[in-house]
Amino acid sequence: MNHLETALSWSILAFEILLCGFVFTRKVQRILPFFATYSCVCLSSTIGVWLTYERFGFYSSSAYFAYWVSVLVNTTSRSLAIAELCRFGIRTYRGIWALVWRVLTALSILLLVHAGVDAWGQPDRVAIYGATIERDLALASIFILAILFLIRNYYGLTLEPLQKAIATGFGVICTIDVIGNAILRNLYTGYLFPFFLKSQKALWPALRSQFVRVNDMWSMIHLLAIMFSMGIWCFALRKPVPAPSETPVLLPANVYRELSPAINLRLAMFNDRLVELLKP
Amino acid sequence: MMNNLDIVIPCVIAVSGILFYLLVPRQKSQGAATSSSPVNGNESLPGAKHYAYFPQIRQALSVTDAEYLMKNAPPREAKQALRERRMVAWRFLEGLHEDFSNLARLGRIIAALSPEVSRQQETQRLVLTLKFQMLYALVWLRLSTGDLPLPQLERLTGMIGRLATRMDEAMTQISALSTGRITGQLRA
Repeated sequence: MNHLETALSWSILAFEILLCGFVFTRKVQRILPFFATYSCVCLSSTIGVWLTYERFGFYSSSAYFAYWVSVLVNTTSRSLAIAELCRFGIRTYRGIWALVWRVLTALSILLLVHAGVDAWGQPDRVAIYGATIERDLALASIFILAILFLIRNYYGLTLEPLQKAIATGFGVICTIDVIGNAILRNLYTGYLFPFFLKSQKALWPALRSQFVRVNDMWSMIHLLAIMFSMGIWCFALRKPVPAPSETPVLLPANVYRELSPAINLRLAMFNDRLVELLKP
Repeated sequence: MMNNLDIVIPCVIAVSGILFYLLVPRQKSQGAATSSSPVNGNESLPGAKHYAYFPQIRQALSVTDAEYLMKNAPPREAKQALRERRMVAWRFLEGLHEDFSNLARLGRIIAALSPEVSRQQETQRLVLTLKFQMLYALVWLRLSTGDLPLPQLERLTGMIGRLATRMDEAMTQISALSTGRITGQLRA
């Protein structure tokens, strides 16, 4: 590792310790257990990868596999934290939740299947698999978060500041992940592809420095995005977490059954009149 | 297709843009930011405030008024008056848009506070709202270019007036039901 990588690794470790400290001091695990787990997973995977580097060397194959395993563990844990965010606050609105969870589950399944199919078609290389699946899962996370917030906005269900900060942080990480992994994957499958082929061993010395440089650059951008997001989360957690909002008082079911069709009928009439207005 | 950077990067930037736009607190919703409830008291229930000006607008847009102006006023003044009336109609149309939005919002509030919702009803309302936005934009454009005759707009105002009255009744009904429900729970 060079000086910059060492400095970044120490910084990310410091941010992760700080975040875990805030999470457990503010007892976030009581309201968002998967987010608390995610912060612990980040810290433990950083320590794990660090120990692997120390034990086997930064450029060893063990370090290489340890890095990609940690990426996949982090991505899975992040996906669970995002799923938890989707559920938070809406579940008490039973009618809307019954509608929303189906939409989000269908979308998640579709995007996960797409990620699987996309990764399946790749050449049998850990880095290419990893970059493809990480890109697709990050893309799925952004889509799900955007759909969730569109639905929330549509029904006027605002989120509390902490949850908003968490969603913003995930949004930043996922956006950078999609862009970075898309570029990285294109390099792996294009220009740098001979580096993965044993038949092209003669080209390895020439490509090695470029392969390392690409990886280093991507690691640096990825780590900066994570630090930025952790900064947002730590800032949101600087104050005690307010008690969750009270459960809303729901209307009797017949109110919706009676009024909703009537409102829709009137809205339709409204549109019919507008169409009439536009007729020559 | 997903392996094409020209598609993936603009796509992710657009979706992230929507996400961050929705996450940024806006001035309008500052008051409601601390609560996750769609209704914070009766004052936030939608109201048909533009309906209050309906008789005056109807008078201003009446065909007889326009004919009287064209017949008796000098052509320049008559044109000026008609232009101003069109401006009033344009502003009123904006107000009517607000009234439509309030009616649609009422539907969404009821859905949010209902223990069960119909997927069909919700989809229908979403489609109607999108259709309205499109039609409204077309009417707005035609009115702005002076291509929409005022008598047609007069017919529209009549219809909105009736809708607004029904909406006020519906809101009163919901307020009564919510209050009854809350009181009932407190007693229990």
